[in-house]
Amino acid sequence: MSKFAGKKAVVTGGTHGMGLAIVKALLDGGAEVLYTGRNEKKIEEARTELKSDKAHVVRSDAASMADIRGLADTAQEKLGRVDYLFVNHGIAEVQTLEETTEESWDRHFAINTKGAFFTVQSLSPLLNDNGAIVFTTVANDLIFPGLSAYSGSKEAVRAISHVLAAELLPRKIRVNSVAPGYIKTPTMGVAGMTEEERRDFEKQGADTSPLKRMGTVEEVAAAALFLAADATFTTNVEFPVDGGFAQGLTGAH
Amino acid sequence: MSKYAGKKAVIQGGTHGMGLGVAKALLAEGAEVVLTGRNEANIEAARAELAGEAAHVVRSDAANLDDVRALGGVVEEKLGRIDFLFINVGIAELVPFDQVTEEGYDRIFDINTKGAFFTVQRLAPLINKGGAVLFTTSIADNMGYPGITVYGGAKAALRTFAKGFAAELMPHGIRVNALSPGPIKTPSMGYPAMSDADKDVHEKEMNEISPMKRHGTIEEIAAAALFLAFEATFTTGTEVVVDGGLAQGIIPAAA
Repeated sequence: MSKFAGKKAVVTGGTHGMGLAIVKALLDGGAEVLYTGRNEKKIEEARTELKSDKAHVVRSDAASMADIRGLADTAQEKLGRVDYLFVNHGIAEVQTLEETTEESWDRHFAINTKGAFFTVQSLSPLLNDNGAIVFTTVANDLIFPGLSAYSGSKEAVRAISHVLAAELLPRKIRVNSVAPGYIKTPTMGVAGMTEEERRDFEKQGADTSPLKRMGTVEEVAAAALFLAADATFTTNVEFPVDGGFAQGLTGAH
Repeated sequence: MSKYAGKKAVIQGGTHGMGLGVAKALLAEGAEVVLTGRNEANIEAARAELAGEAAHVVRSDAANLDDVRALGGVVEEKLGRIDFLFINVGIAELVPFDQVTEEGYDRIFDINTKGAFFTVQRLAPLINKGGAVLFTTSIADNMGYPGITVYGGAKAALRTFAKGFAAELMPHGIRVNALSPGPIKTPSMGYPAMSDADKDVHEKEMNEISPMKRHGTIEEIAAAALFLAFEATFTTGTEVVVDGGLAQGIIPAAA
């Protein structure tokens, strides 16, 4: 496959889960990819798994402005110009209203929101005209007890993406979002769960998604790549990959 | 290329414009397609263009329920079971609301809305598990643009049908989505009754107000349609917009 031959991409949060699936799909299509992670163990695992001279992993913390600037320098050095930027990194912690601490609140907004915005700001000069940005948001009509900080931080990203779609229009850079529902990933997107909690969460996901199963990371990657490469007359939309969860569908009787 | 080898599809409203574009994209990848049209000249042109391909061009009026029932029989005979049903039939007329007649109103709703509903009702039993239905809606279903109030209403009904069918066909493993085009460069520009001179004016006007300053292409529609049909396997009940940002609330940055 050479659909993305000659294309260059940056994927933040690319060492595991949905981000890693996006990286793999890009590599399969012949693109050169710079991807980031924060956890050293996951970085090593991804490096070992991908073993491609077209894949460059860099340790970068989306909550660190120094790291974000460093990422832009690395992107310039390794890739030169960039065609597709996938702002995919993010954290989620389940904390109810009573449990939510200021530290947790700030961590969500620092990584998910501020980190997303400044990643775009830092990499924007490298983006080619006619390129694309794809944010990973969330099927946010799906209301979850205990995810105030997470949902707020992702909704902010969605709002920021609207403005960036307008601001980057003169450069013909499209800005869209992919909005996953329940997707089967190693962490299920939520940090700090016990094995039992994770199993319950998976079961809940499969039971409550109208399609009666969880989505796969490959399904998210397919939508992200569609938005980046194929949806050339589409900007400022959010593409749900949620098994119908947030689409107002009620199961048949 | 044989990405869709063995796949079977029905395209209602497939003899020209976006429907024909999707038909060609399917045929190019090995699918077999039944496509419908109403206008004899368009039907003949499509037959000539698709001669030798795995395409069956059928005359069928979406506003006529006898035709819709007969289409079910033709599909059973030609294809048996199907993987993709594309309800793309539709007409638009630019008429200010105070000049809309009952006949004009009924024509828009009969073709765009009633025909679409009963076509899905008739063909749904033929759709394979894992298959997909796609409606062509319009950004008019969510916008106020003078002269297309009736059309916008008919398409908004279709948007709701997509959700209803998504829920009703879920137990059969069939996904249902909508594709919402903005201004797309097609031979009719969506307005079959419009003169060529008026089409030129309309095209320039739409380019002017469109954030991307251009019309979309049939290929861009086909890419989205086929993605929703075959690849978006965890997406149902949604509407994907292919509109150059026109209905996305974008105020372009000052030059």
